[in-house]
Amino acid sequence: MKRIYLSLTILVSLMGSAYADRLVIKGSDTLGAKLVPQLAEQFKAQHPGTTFDIAAEGSTTGIAAIIDGTAQIGMSSRRAKSSEVGAAAAKGVNMKPTIVAYDGIAVIVNANNPLKSLTKKQVEQIFTGEVTDWSAVGGSGGKISIYTRNTSSGTYSDFKELAMKKRDYAPGSQKMAGNEQIASEVGKNPAGIGYVGMAYTKAGGAKVVSIDGTIPSIQSVQNHSYSYWRPTFYYTNGEPSGIAKTFLDFTLSSVGQKIVNQVGFVPIK
Amino acid sequence: MSFGLAPARVTSTDSTQGEPMFKRFIYLFAAASLIFGGVAVHAQDAGALLDLLVRKKLITDQEAEEVRSELTKQVAETPAGKLKLSVPITELELYGDARLRYEYRGGRTAGDTADPNDWLERQRERYRLRIGLRGTLADDWFFGIRLETSQNSRSTNVTFGDDTSTTSGTTTTFNGPFAKNSDGINVGQAYLGYKGFRDITLTGGKMPNPLVTTLMVWDGDINPEGAAEQWKHSFTFSFGESGLAQAEQSYSKDNKALAISKPAAEPWKLKIDVFANFAQFIYDDSNPENPLGARSNSGGNLKPNTDAWLLAWQVGARFNFPKNFYFQLAPTLYNYTGNGDTFNGHFVGGSPFLSNSDSLALNQVGINSLLVLEIPAEFGFKVGELPVRVFGDFAVNFEGDERASAAGFPNKGDQRYAYMIGAGIGQLKAKHDWQIQAWFQHTEQFSLDPNLVDSDLWDSRVNMEGVAVQAGYALSDAVIFNLTYGYAWRVDDGLGTGGTGDIGINPLDKYQIFQADLNVRF
Repeated sequence: MKRIYLSLTILVSLMGSAYADRLVIKGSDTLGAKLVPQLAEQFKAQHPGTTFDIAAEGSTTGIAAIIDGTAQIGMSSRRAKSSEVGAAAAKGVNMKPTIVAYDGIAVIVNANNPLKSLTKKQVEQIFTGEVTDWSAVGGSGGKISIYTRNTSSGTYSDFKELAMKKRDYAPGSQKMAGNEQIASEVGKNPAGIGYVGMAYTKAGGAKVVSIDGTIPSIQSVQNHSYSYWRPTFYYTNGEPSGIAKTFLDFTLSSVGQKIVNQVGFVPIK
Repeated sequence: MSFGLAPARVTSTDSTQGEPMFKRFIYLFAAASLIFGGVAVHAQDAGALLDLLVRKKLITDQEAEEVRSELTKQVAETPAGKLKLSVPITELELYGDARLRYEYRGGRTAGDTADPNDWLERQRERYRLRIGLRGTLADDWFFGIRLETSQNSRSTNVTFGDDTSTTSGTTTTFNGPFAKNSDGINVGQAYLGYKGFRDITLTGGKMPNPLVTTLMVWDGDINPEGAAEQWKHSFTFSFGESGLAQAEQSYSKDNKALAISKPAAEPWKLKIDVFANFAQFIYDDSNPENPLGARSNSGGNLKPNTDAWLLAWQVGARFNFPKNFYFQLAPTLYNYTGNGDTFNGHFVGGSPFLSNSDSLALNQVGINSLLVLEIPAEFGFKVGELPVRVFGDFAVNFEGDERASAAGFPNKGDQRYAYMIGAGIGQLKAKHDWQIQAWFQHTEQFSLDPNLVDSDLWDSRVNMEGVAVQAGYALSDAVIFNLTYGYAWRVDDGLGTGGTGDIGINPLDKYQIFQADLNVRF
């Protein structure tokens, strides 16, 4: 009997230990496709034994995961909506945002498109469907193909707010699952236009256009002169603790912020 | 509720420690002013001040974010913040109107009847309430629902004091003054739609009328039931000073001005909104389509076993010229199919050769032999800042001969036309706006569906013509005061005045109506 009790104690201890080193992170594709996996790799090098479960299916899923308690960190490229904060409060969850990087939402067109710049008004007109032909914005003519993120994406709602005065997207716009898909489609379609986080602007075949004369860059995002800048977040339930706090601190550290820079985001410092 | 917020932030945020007193004060002031400035205000919308403080480097982005998050949480806990919308709803609008009305309505018998030249008059104090929700859903879907007073398809009015008693058989129940029998709330609109295809709107349900029309053909209160497909596209042309070449290159441009690099002179632009509306309205459901056993007879005829449908095909265009001048034309063809079980009798529309009660008892609602072409048109311009519009409508029933013959008046097939023409000046969009409009309207006995024509002008009747004048003034952005007067008379004295209205006279030899409305819209 004593042997069985001892075995159970060891097993429970091992399970507890294993759980403590497992970090579940869900949410934004913008953060979760590149940045957070690279942070996780570096973090694991410093903290052997830590395992990560990262699901990047959109900011909405990250915030929902914090509310539901199915993740320790919720990645989000947008702020939590009041309805989400309210739903969290009703469950006793305190949505705590921590800015981990800045981003600029870059407007991209096909590399063969002669267009080099757009005004904010033109961007709004294009993405709401008011303008449907490239010639109306100084292009060489032809029907504009619009690529947007899907509705669970934080970038989808951020862009709507930052660039479209919260108006609806053009009915014919095509919704893509992630930044890389948008960059890929725009790279293949001479008439394509879309938007991606800064980390996804290097895709072949696509190029970034300036907005009111400003290109998204570290400087223009940090000094907020680029119109479509935004903070990106880790959401936690109150002050983070344990492995979540350790990882958050690592993200904010100079090492973490160096990775932020390398991936293509803008460091917070 | 909010005093604890700012101190908590200060003490829990390392970055504020050791800051000058002024900086801390600004931080506290920002948080407190945002909170006391109106908890109901969405915290994320209150971000302008936080953004300013960040730009002035008085607080950091992270501090601003924490304040914003805390405010959002507090807002979410207020009564307004607890209003929850399901996730698929991307936009929701509450709207409606409430109206108080005084109405005089009178009709005169013909001079050759048993009670010659006698007026039947009604004066009513009425109200109406319409309250709706419409919104957009994820993935290009949309919906709408509107609740309305009154069950009548052509009216949302309820008459004060009209329900003090109700009679069922030989039993009369006194409900007392201020009873509620007629104060019902009914579903006036309930529809669902999809806008996922470029330039196309698909709608199904009980919907706002998707057709461009006038009250000569459609009462504005009718919300038809069925399906509608709408297409609309805009073309912009530029002419003159290099504009002609531009027009050739830009035939299929969407509705905004073209970007022309350094034009020699401002081109003359023409924008054309082309549209097509198709509708399939379920006019009358037949129940059951397949009865037990053999189909029964009614008056020697088999009872109908198909639904009646009203089909409409409309194509049109609005030409927008420079200097706010526009012209719109929207020809529509209406046809009816199937039978239904209510409107399938042959329309007669009353007779001047019968007593009033016998004339009223004739079929007033039949939809047989109606193949109607309607051509509503309107052009407008501005005089200074005042919009002016001239409008009109023309309709012809291509099956007027058949409809007249079926009614027992085979020599009256020429009574197949309807038309109106009028003009208006002003608008009612904002406080102190005013508007006046007047028109002449002529509707022959076998020209239109009497179940659809306006219930006020002229009492839901055909074979009437007359003039109407409306004047309105906006007491505020939301409150409109309106006066309407109409006077009408019979078109053809050899026919009744078909349709079922509020004045129990057929033929209605003379008719007049006066309405004073106080309308609150929201």
